[in-house]
Amino acid sequence: MHDGFSLESLGVPTAVIVTSTFVHEAKVQRAALGMEGLAPVVIEHPLSSLSEEEIRGRAAQALAQVVRVWRGTHADPPTPQ
Amino acid sequence: MPQTYDPRGVVRADARALARRVGTLEGLRVGILDNTKWNANKLLRAVRDQLQSEHQLAAVNYYRKESFSRFADPALIDRIRAQNDVVFTAIGD
Amino acid sequence: MSAQLAPQPAPTQVPEGTDLIEWYYEKGFSDGLPVVPPTPEKLAAMLAALGGEPQKVECRVPPRWGVLTREVLAVNLVMAGCKPAYAPVVRAAMLALTETAFNLNGVQATTHMCSPLLVVNGPIAKTIGMNGGCNAFGSGNRANATIGRAIRLVLLNVGGGWPGDLDKSTLGNPTKYTYAVCENDASPFPPYHVEKGFAAGDSTLFVMAAEAPHSVTNHVANDPQGILDSICSAMSTFAHNNAVSGGHCAVVLGPEHAATIAKHGWKRNDIKSYLWMYSGNKFRELAFEHRYGKVYNRSLPVWYRRDLDSHIPAVPSAENIHLFVIGGEAGRFSAFIPGWGHMTSPVLREIGGGGPKDAGPRCVDGTCYL
Repeated sequence: MHDGFSLESLGVPTAVIVTSTFVHEAKVQRAALGMEGLAPVVIEHPLSSLSEEEIRGRAAQALAQVVRVWRGTHADPPTPQ
Repeated sequence: MPQTYDPRGVVRADARALARRVGTLEGLRVGILDNTKWNANKLLRAVRDQLQSEHQLAAVNYYRKESFSRFADPALIDRIRAQNDVVFTAIGD
Repeated sequence: MSAQLAPQPAPTQVPEGTDLIEWYYEKGFSDGLPVVPPTPEKLAAMLAALGGEPQKVECRVPPRWGVLTREVLAVNLVMAGCKPAYAPVVRAAMLALTETAFNLNGVQATTHMCSPLLVVNGPIAKTIGMNGGCNAFGSGNRANATIGRAIRLVLLNVGGGWPGDLDKSTLGNPTKYTYAVCENDASPFPPYHVEKGFAAGDSTLFVMAAEAPHSVTNHVANDPQGILDSICSAMSTFAHNNAVSGGHCAVVLGPEHAATIAKHGWKRNDIKSYLWMYSGNKFRELAFEHRYGKVYNRSLPVWYRRDLDSHIPAVPSAENIHLFVIGGEAGRFSAFIPGWGHMTSPVLREIGGGGPKDAGPRCVDGTCYL
């Protein structure tokens, strides 16, 4: 999130992709940085142990959100319980 | 009356606004920042491929962080800023 | 940063007869053990030891980036059970931990079990009664126990590093309650901080993100090589994080082992060099024989060869081994303490001084990159 914050501060719309277990932490980080509008792109956890096909599935989850972040129509994701 | 104390301290940051959003993606320079965590590169490439198939982008630029755990080097951030209109990055997990 | 001031919420009044220990538990301010409820008198004494100015900002603590004022630090110090004399050590530790090179954000959040290890050198250790002798890493000493505990309480309360929340450590480890020691000043070698360019009369602290100590037994060898071979054995497993992630580690010589090695004329650099040279793994072990796909491992330096039988050192350099003499006079034991990896660098700084000593070209950003 910090890198996303840096780039947004410099004028570059940035989509930060996180897995679902990271959403809470992402929100804490952006609060500490003062950039509450930085809405992350969320894909299902995990990523590190996935097959190529599963990774492509995650990419599909991410893509539409990425474009919405750049256009300003991406809703803030809820924190999974 | 006994007193109790809060050991947490405050969290305090000045509110920062986002960058201006874009309308169309056609003709934009897209930056990709890989934080080198496991499978981030595969995910980013898959997103990139899909993006390129759906839009006419002016350029696609790929960057890798030196260390997944630290913030990106300011010089790298500045280079990304100079060379791109929008960016996507992974992975926070 | 040091000129900033930050307000602190006013203390809360609670009804007479409230069980204060339970109150702090219920609020979620405890590390799991009972805390000492602060009183105005205890806080005043602690604040005086910190130099007054209650709202002065010492640092911000990740991953929550809570603002650590002297007032807030005093609250955590009292809760931990510290004496005011310990306050400068804990403050110096927080300044060291929040140096960029340490990457406290990463250390707090990681799934690895690491915890900041604190080693104090110089006169302050004796002045405040720290234990660098028998059972130094164990219990029974107020200074060791509460200094380490105060650091953890700050990391929890101010930093927000609560287990299951922002602290994702899979297993944790007992050193996350407390992990603070000093070197044994009866060591036959110069102390650690003198090796690193400080004067013997300086008081310093060293912090490193560390796993728990791994005991090394050797009751047979009466020469340096035999003893060090046992330590090399502990370093040569591909289970610890250094093996796969590089970075820094620590080696602790117990006094009996240290005495034998010193008797043969070996110096600190000889010990570190031997340990580095004769420990490590084969790449095939780290790659799991490429059973799960071809492994390169970007966490390791590019200059390592990646053939299956290539030797992979435990850490990239002898200078990444931080050597201490700690422990009691009896027992032929030493310890290997793995680190977290290249993602963090240890920090060595003076206690109470203006900042880390400039030890020459290896210092980056005023922090000694060791």
